[in-house]
Amino acid sequence: MHVRLSKMKEGERGVVIDIQGGAGARQRLLGLGITPGTVIRVIKSSPPGPVIIGVGPSKVALGRGIADKIIVRRES
Amino acid sequence: MEKVVALAGNPNVGKTTIFNALTGLRQHVGNWPGVTVEKKEGIMKYKNRKFRVVDLPGTYSLTARSIDELIARNFILEGNADIIVDVVDSSCLMRNLYLTMEILEMGVKNVIIALNKIDLAKKKGITIDFKKVEKALGIPVVPMNAKEGIGIDDLKETIVAMADGKITTNPVIPIYDELIEREISHISKILKGTPLAEKYNVRWLSIKLLTRDEEVIKLVLKHLGQEKMDEIMKHISELEQHYKRSLDMVIASQKYEFIDSLIHQFVTYPTERKETIGDQLDKILIHPVYGMISLFGVFYLLFKFVFTVGTPMQEALDSLFASLGDLVGGYITSETLRGLVVDGIIGGVGAVLSFFPLVFLLFVAISFLEDIGYMARAAVVMERIMRKFNLPGKSFIPMVMAFGCNVPAVMAVRALDDERDRILTMLVNPLVPCSARMVVVTFLAGAFFESHQALVAVGIYAISFGLALISALILGKFVIKGEGSPFVIELPDYLIPSWKTIIIHSWERSKEFLKKAGTIILAGAVAIWYLSNYPEPVGSGLSYAERLGKFFEPLTRLMGQDWKAAVSLIFGIIAKENVIATYGVIYGVGESEEALAVLMRQAMAPLQAFVLALVTTLYIPCIATIAAIRSEGGMKWAVIASLYDLVLATVVGILVYHLGLFILG
Repeated sequence: MHVRLSKMKEGERGVVIDIQGGAGARQRLLGLGITPGTVIRVIKSSPPGPVIIGVGPSKVALGRGIADKIIVRRES
Repeated sequence: MEKVVALAGNPNVGKTTIFNALTGLRQHVGNWPGVTVEKKEGIMKYKNRKFRVVDLPGTYSLTARSIDELIARNFILEGNADIIVDVVDSSCLMRNLYLTMEILEMGVKNVIIALNKIDLAKKKGITIDFKKVEKALGIPVVPMNAKEGIGIDDLKETIVAMADGKITTNPVIPIYDELIEREISHISKILKGTPLAEKYNVRWLSIKLLTRDEEVIKLVLKHLGQEKMDEIMKHISELEQHYKRSLDMVIASQKYEFIDSLIHQFVTYPTERKETIGDQLDKILIHPVYGMISLFGVFYLLFKFVFTVGTPMQEALDSLFASLGDLVGGYITSETLRGLVVDGIIGGVGAVLSFFPLVFLLFVAISFLEDIGYMARAAVVMERIMRKFNLPGKSFIPMVMAFGCNVPAVMAVRALDDERDRILTMLVNPLVPCSARMVVVTFLAGAFFESHQALVAVGIYAISFGLALISALILGKFVIKGEGSPFVIELPDYLIPSWKTIIIHSWERSKEFLKKAGTIILAGAVAIWYLSNYPEPVGSGLSYAERLGKFFEPLTRLMGQDWKAAVSLIFGIIAKENVIATYGVIYGVGESEEALAVLMRQAMAPLQAFVLALVTTLYIPCIATIAAIRSEGGMKWAVIASLYDLVLATVVGILVYHLGLFILG
């Protein structure tokens, strides 16, 4: 099931499928290891605050706007 | 010419610590030409050899999309570095090696990996076979724990050996899937016939074209012409359709896959990721409610520390300058010269310099929070609030620092990711009242609103801070347009910081403040001394300062203020607490605040005092802050900030005065 990262709940995991939106924002994510195929886990998500995700050993905070543009395949 | 060593690496990998270890205190902080990005340079001496070390901005990749990345990339691309030291966090190899691959892909051979934080990797249960790393990457690798000084000498040794041509490298570069590789060699063939091939690596140019890199497209277009370029872009569009997404994503994904296969040759990871103390801490510190509470707690302690330690030092410096003035004055017989030296230079510069302890301590406290890993968390907590005012979460840091002193606060905008965010934050920063303005506000509030002193002071602070936020909203909408960068920030591991790094960093920053005191502030102090002593001293009614005051009186009248306010405000530009000191001079009571309060109460009503305190808080930033804005953003923004604040203060002053008159009947 595909879902926007901003809609995922704390504790959920998934694989990034696509990153929509402008090249500027997208390329910043790529440098942080967030690309199609990356496994991520949602550490904290409490709207309207940023979403905190785990990417490998590192933690990244993403604003709601950009989290909205990341499409994830949810893993159960 | 000494050879140039460039330090590259992700943020938070210990690059600064390594830079300090290589250069010691032989370093210089400035800006990269034309932008608000900090440039650090230093000299490394080792075994009678000298190297120039340049610290490139910390970046995650080398795209053309951010100024920081473009600076780092162009520095390498133009061949400015004889040796590149790529600092890699060994506890986070996958992401760090992405930048390494971006560097190696440019076709450079003279790269050394400083594999830092090996202690942290070990603690996380990651085992690395260092011999195999070198073999897999094809370049020298130096395992390090820079904070403890481990590996520094090895790194220096390797730099010297590479400079002497004693190391042959065979850097690995990422290989992509068949379709991408075919397109790369297709474009490479076209580019090989152009002059570009002599200067740049054609494989790199080809890959960057595939990702639609704006800078490379511009560059190639110049040499190939529109027709051939269209041909290439048509191919790229077809490939994009095939993958159903832009190729920057495809290439990044494949690059990570390549790194993954590489890493497995030399690293074994623990099977299970354990929850760390950091994870526990984050549950509180980035929580929407507890996070906000702890943030207030942290910054309360920060200011408590800065003022408890700094204020006695400031007072001591103040009296030191006073005695110095007396001492020097005793040796000068010419009255004019004595006035210039004692009142003008020592008095004026001393007033600003006495803030040095506060500036330095603020930097120490902020660097500490930064290095320990807290600042990123503070930015997360503040993001939702700051974003409403067109500012990124991180801009909260300079806004808070400004309550101490605007000078370090303006310098701290360098930590923001985006040029627009930096300029905007810098412009509104002077509206956040600093500790010097606290002196004026508390004096006036105490003299006129005895029973409501705290309330009035807090009110003025609130109005001022509110105007800063509203200004950001308005300026962000109409003057410095643009979206601002999306909020993307890494939350680094919590670390015990290195005191040496913090002290060096704080010293480097506050040194700039001292330099300004010696130049622009000195000039300003002398100018104002001249205005107030010629042709006759202040008090005679004939001095240029008083004439200026009377000239501006029609304007200050609108705010219910006489010429004395105008004169005081002019002197307040040197340092804001001068506003009160000038009233003291004009009334001829010197430094006696008691006497001054009595006289001022006779001369003005509480409403006028309130307006005076408010206008003092809002109008033109002090000379040191203007100088800081000028060196961070250029003359243009320094002028704009000064004019904006002046107009704002005038308008608000007039409004509040008349509103007050209306309400009070």
